Amino acid sequence: MTKVLIAEDDANIVESLSFVLGRAGFEVSCALDGDETLRKLHNDRPDVMVLDLMLPKRNGFEVLKAVKSDPALRDLPVMVLTAKGQPQDRRLVEQIGVEGFMTKPFSNTDVVEAVRRLAGVV
Amino acid sequence: MNQGIRTNYATLVGPKIRDQRRALGMTQVGLSETLGISASYLNLIEAGRRNIGGGLLKRIADTLGLAVEELDGAAERRLLADLTELAAEPMLTALRLDVATTADIAGHYPGWARALIALHRAWLDRGRAVNALSDRLRHDPFLADAVHQLLTRVAAIKSAAEIVEKVEDLSPAQERRFAAIVGGESRRLADLAQALASFFERAHTAVRSLTPVGEVDDFLADHAHHFPGLENAASALREKARIAVDGDGIESLLIAYLQRAHGLEPPAGATRFELARRAAECACGDDALDVEIQRATALTNDAARRRARHALSAYVAAAVVMPYDPFLAAARRLRFDADALASTFGVSFEQACHRLVTLRRAGAQGVPFALMRVDASGYTTRRAPLPNLALPRHGSACPLWAVYLALQSPGAIVRQVVEFPGGERFLFVARAVDEPGPAFPMPRRVVSLMLGCDALYADQTVYGDGLSLGSAAPATPVGPNCRVCTRIDCAYRQEDPVIDA
Repeated sequence: MTKVLIAEDDANIVESLSFVLGRAGFEVSCALDGDETLRKLHNDRPDVMVLDLMLPKRNGFEVLKAVKSDPALRDLPVMVLTAKGQPQDRRLVEQIGVEGFMTKPFSNTDVVEAVRRLAGVV
Repeated sequence: MNQGIRTNYATLVGPKIRDQRRALGMTQVGLSETLGISASYLNLIEAGRRNIGGGLLKRIADTLGLAVEELDGAAERRLLADLTELAAEPMLTALRLDVATTADIAGHYPGWARALIALHRAWLDRGRAVNALSDRLRHDPFLADAVHQLLTRVAAIKSAAEIVEKVEDLSPAQERRFAAIVGGESRRLADLAQALASFFERAHTAVRSLTPVGEVDDFLADHAHHFPGLENAASALREKARIAVDGDGIESLLIAYLQRAHGLEPPAGATRFELARRAAECACGDDALDVEIQRATALTNDAARRRARHALSAYVAAAVVMPYDPFLAAARRLRFDADALASTFGVSFEQACHRLVTLRRAGAQGVPFALMRVDASGYTTRRAPLPNLALPRHGSACPLWAVYLALQSPGAIVRQVVEFPGGERFLFVARAVDEPGPAFPMPRRVVSLMLGCDALYADQTVYGDGLSLGSAAPATPVGPNCRVCTRIDCAYRQEDPVIDA
């Protein structure tokens, strides 16, 4: 089963996303802050990560940078899902390296499709 | 800007002489005979083709029953400096305004000139208010957070609503759960919307006009930075506080006075100047200060009047701790050494500099000093110009001025003889000083203060010692500011001149 990690601090968004991704056949786990995200990435590496940028403790930019500079995690597909949609934020995550970028508010269907594409299941 | 002013000065004075002569029914021949000059020379003066000053100007003024100040065009020169600054406005570049004609406009249509300047100031003011607002919107932490919250709440609502709407086999419990998310998030969104609405109401009312500073500048310049009425008020206050001689006892006398006469307990550790200011506000509030302010036509609104009142209470305080005659005598003896004066009178370097600027009593003048104060960003926060030395009202001056150089080495006196493109020479003396700042980890607050006087007076000051002061001696070539400076090839040029030289 394809594993998805949702790194997002808003519990209601986590709940909805877990529900739709679960129904789409993914095994979903979640992390509510940046430190927890990195711990989960190392302990139980997912196949795709959905990453919010405004995370408590370590923010999404730092998490992304840690992932992309870690040989063990570098090829993990990451989709940034954020309310910070300004061009400079987008440019910054693209410089660090990212596989997908989507802004809030999003449509559930678009998220599911994007995760499928990144997981290589379509 | 200065090079234009000296040559155009005559065109301001001439028409005034002619108008007053005609008003008195005198002929050119008649007046010239009284003055002991030729009629053709008087004709040249009235036509604005000869500069006059000193004794002749005084004789003409006396004969025509005018004060020298009414003739020598100080107000007009300020008007001219303001017009020249207006002509340098980048927005007007395409019009290629001829700076040389500003004197005609100021001389012949002073009302229109003032109207233009008033509009220009109002326009600058609006521009700054708009910039302040847009900066505020861009950088305001509350707004950034609110927008982020807004998008997050909407994302949560949209995602949950989509589930309720599109997933057909939801259990009743799941349906209730996602409906509850939509409900809860909607309420948070409503609160957020209200907070945003009240933020904009506050932001709207908090934008203040910036013009009052300009009005206070004008008001002080109108009085040549000297107020005989306030000097008298300060003397009276010294008597009331029983300050007989200057010395270390002043603080305790001022404290005793504040306790005795006003029932006030001044804060511990207040400086001599702060105590004097407190006393000035208590003792002169209702008469001396308000009389000056109510008379002032330059002050058009309450914000300007409040600022002016603050400036005038500082004036009285300065006059209490640095009384005119002893201070002038000390200044002459110490050759206008601001540090020596500061320690003699127990005040700060800045307070001594300000007091030097006010030594303009007719018959007992000090060296006429200009004063300029800038903050670390170069923004002018105080300006006392001289008739022939305009200081920037908006924006900054030439980067070579000592006032900016001093910021590179706080504490050290930087002095320089400067020459403007028109040949005018000034002695500039500047020092960057620490303003009392907040607590330790906060950045230092440094401001730079500069005194400037015509190079002709430089030898009366300690700051001229060891400098070559002759008009052929080397001097730093400076300008008013890049946009109006005619030194095309200057290595420090940052902006093209608005008018080709």
